[in-house]
Amino acid sequence: MAADDDSKGLRTSRFAPYGLLSPGVIWLLLFFLVPVAMLLKASLSTKPSRFANPTFDWAWGNYSSAFSQYGGVFVRSFVYAGTATVLAILIGYPLAYWIATRGGRWKNLLIGLVVVPFFTSYLIRTIAWSSILADQNAVVSGLRQVFGEDFRILATPWAVIGGLTYNFMSFMILPIYVSLEKIDFRLTEAAADLGSTTWGAFRKVVLPLSLPGVFAGSLLVFIPAAGDYLNARYLGSPKTTMIGTVVQNKFLVQFDYPQAAALSIVLMVIITAMVLVYSKFLGTEGLAV
Amino acid sequence: MTNRVSRRRFMTGTGAAVGGLVIAPGILAACGGGDSADGGSGGPDVYFDNWTLYIDKPDGKLYGKGGTLDEFQTASGKKVKYVEGYNDNNEYFAKVQPLLSTGKPIAPNVIAPTFWMAGRYITLGWAEKLPLSKVPNAKNLLTSLQKPPADPTGEYSLPWQSGMAGIAYNQKVTGRPITKVEDLWDPAFKGKIGMLTEMRDTIGLIAMAQGIDLDKPTYDKFVPAFDVLQEQVDKGQVRQFTGNDYVDDLEQGNYAACIGWSGDVVQLSRSNPDIKFVIPESGGTLWFDTMIVPKGASNVDAVGEWMNFVYDPANAARITAEVQYISPVQGVQDELRKLGGDAATLADSQLLFPDATTLANLQSWGNLDEEQEQKFDERFNEISGG
Amino acid sequence: MMAEGAAPPVFAEAEPGRRGSDKAVRAGSPWGRRLLTAFAVCVYIYLFLPLINIVVFTFNSPKGRYNLSWDGFTLDNWLNPFADKELTDAFGRSLQVAVVSITIALVMGSLIAIALARYRFTGSKVTEVFLVLPLTTPEIVLGASLYQLFLGRNVTLGRSTVVIAHVMFCVSFVALTVKARVRGFDWSLEDAAMDLGASPMRTFWKVTFPLILPGIMAAALLSFALSMDDYIITDFTKGEFATFPIQVNNAFRVSFPPQVNVLATIVLVVSVLLLVLSSARRRPGTV
Repeated sequence: MAADDDSKGLRTSRFAPYGLLSPGVIWLLLFFLVPVAMLLKASLSTKPSRFANPTFDWAWGNYSSAFSQYGGVFVRSFVYAGTATVLAILIGYPLAYWIATRGGRWKNLLIGLVVVPFFTSYLIRTIAWSSILADQNAVVSGLRQVFGEDFRILATPWAVIGGLTYNFMSFMILPIYVSLEKIDFRLTEAAADLGSTTWGAFRKVVLPLSLPGVFAGSLLVFIPAAGDYLNARYLGSPKTTMIGTVVQNKFLVQFDYPQAAALSIVLMVIITAMVLVYSKFLGTEGLAV
Repeated sequence: MTNRVSRRRFMTGTGAAVGGLVIAPGILAACGGGDSADGGSGGPDVYFDNWTLYIDKPDGKLYGKGGTLDEFQTASGKKVKYVEGYNDNNEYFAKVQPLLSTGKPIAPNVIAPTFWMAGRYITLGWAEKLPLSKVPNAKNLLTSLQKPPADPTGEYSLPWQSGMAGIAYNQKVTGRPITKVEDLWDPAFKGKIGMLTEMRDTIGLIAMAQGIDLDKPTYDKFVPAFDVLQEQVDKGQVRQFTGNDYVDDLEQGNYAACIGWSGDVVQLSRSNPDIKFVIPESGGTLWFDTMIVPKGASNVDAVGEWMNFVYDPANAARITAEVQYISPVQGVQDELRKLGGDAATLADSQLLFPDATTLANLQSWGNLDEEQEQKFDERFNEISGG
Repeated sequence: MMAEGAAPPVFAEAEPGRRGSDKAVRAGSPWGRRLLTAFAVCVYIYLFLPLINIVVFTFNSPKGRYNLSWDGFTLDNWLNPFADKELTDAFGRSLQVAVVSITIALVMGSLIAIALARYRFTGSKVTEVFLVLPLTTPEIVLGASLYQLFLGRNVTLGRSTVVIAHVMFCVSFVALTVKARVRGFDWSLEDAAMDLGASPMRTFWKVTFPLILPGIMAAALLSFALSMDDYIITDFTKGEFATFPIQVNNAFRVSFPPQVNVLATIVLVVSVLLLVLSSARRRPGTV
């Protein structure tokens, strides 16, 4: 093995990092970058007939119809994903804060419990929600007495948003927790000693220090939520279709590859733009945690 | 990076070596592994990719003793691989299209597309001719299923099971009997109505309610039916478009009523008498699933033997007793009576053995050419949220 | 991307009491603290509600084909956890894919992490950004683009393509997790070992490897969850190869057997046990 080479040569070699990087990076080039390029090519192709394979001909029309026909679906997807992100912050932050400040020796277990749901398949959890929220279940029936006969949870936008929030919740809680964990809470004591109220200390000291976690969590929730289609399938209705549904359907059911590819590219570009803006301000460290 | 590291890079060589050598076999191993889902020893003679719950399973086992698959293997000495991977006509087509369009065979040598999809494979030249000489029992088939419009010469496809689409409802939720398509649009059922993703059944029922015939369909003729569906989806009347899983929504009471398939509902109503199935006054659709041999498949003769076997009324009855759809084989009714018990009661079901009056109220779809079908599909997907 | 329910960045990262914050939090009114605790309890209930549902329904004896409404108690499902052959096979395939792909991803990802953490070189910044990209690309785009690639190259979709895809989305993840873990590592230990006459290979296995091992373990656990759970990317690369989630979804059109819940519960119980064991083991003075 090369390891038996004389160590002098090894120390001065300039190629070490590249050698270490190459397998993984080549894999990513081949199976991430090249495919995206293929997708780009497909998005500018047309199919001569319905069941034939597409040919490349700079068909920009796929993009104009992506906006004209599916603009509404894009907006809906981003609104759902955005709402889910906000809800995940509202639910996840207090929990992360509680674990970080009150967890004591149970911290690891408590944060581990947050992860546990994610070891059962996300699909099965979503189906479980559809069982819990079924129209005839006691709680939903009870609420129907209050809100009127039309009330239901399943097959509404809220069910889909709720599903997205739930399914990606741990992506929010963990980065927030990690950023809170780094805070020296004696700072808040110091602030309190200096006459600040609890809330004041939280707002001035803790919150700003934990913001990187919140931002990282937001991306980690928003991105998968925006492209999801399973929640809409199991918890939604034809009126809650998300862009993921359309892309999946166009690819795997209708084999309209060019249109589907154009829709994917648009989704990717929008999200990448958001990520770039994000990392411009906050760097990529937060994402990796 | 904050922590800068020592200048001494002793790992250079190791890194390169690991990078270059150790990984390569890993990649090769990953890529080299066989593609078959589970490759048994020696290929099967008959490899049937069928819809789920579409054959008898003694004690819940596909190859259970005394079941159709077991009996066939014993009787013919042929090895059968039966998988339940055919979930959706369009999805399956999309899955095999890249292979068949480039002249490569797919793994199964017999698949179960619905009649119209079988028509597509046949038109595209992606179906092999069947070894009809090996299938003398084809004489037992219902005359209505011989040489259907999608396969006018009858050389490429033979029926598997047949059934009807009508309205299924949960009487506990509706509180009243449902008799016609218009009942589905009752504001009292807002958000509790289900439609099928199977376009021909959904649009077919709605169209018939408007007096549109299904035998020579064109998109222009069907626009009013699509408009009704669109309106009901927009109003929030329609809750969801599903495949067979409407059964679950119906059972759980999420649906008051939906468009559904006869066999499902027969099975369901056994355990839940509130679930009913009706053919709407304006008519229901009659459909059938086929067996075709995809282009390039091997062991076509073995498939012929298999077909011959299941067209024997006694074998066909065993399947019917379990799946409870309309058997394409004549004589099944008598065989069911012979079986006795639950099976015997099925022999008297209008949904399994429709009489002339029921049949008169059913319509089958005529052929849609490629261009027409694309128009239908596009509009339907637009409405159903594809 | 970052798979659906997938597991999250880090939990082995968190070390209790590292910054001496444990006793620090005295601030806040007792009522405020109680309110926060009550809220936290509610969030846990919310997080576990579907799991409770899944576990409870392993004891259901459904009348119909869908194990989604309660019809009566039975132990049958636990006595026949593998009654559904297709489902069991799919479960086995999922395990197999997960093991193969995380093994490959762990090696490649760790090497990237070491390269990034240990060397300064031209292109390291670009590499870091490049690594983040697969994580910030929606899964559906990753799946769709692989689908295009394989389609264009006439590659038959199946086990290999699923593994390729899973390795792809795990590599970045492993690299970033392990990198975060080795950030604080004192590399001069390696020099010390070498000065004492250890060979580079020996130094790696005796010094470097043990230090990055916890990071690798964390990454392994989470990649495992990512892989087992993945639906969307697998949907595009599967061909006729059905993993567990795919099989559940396909079968859902006609049935949702209790065995789905049983298998899910087994995974759940094993992961909870691992969690409890590891948190019990790691408590005092972890590195």
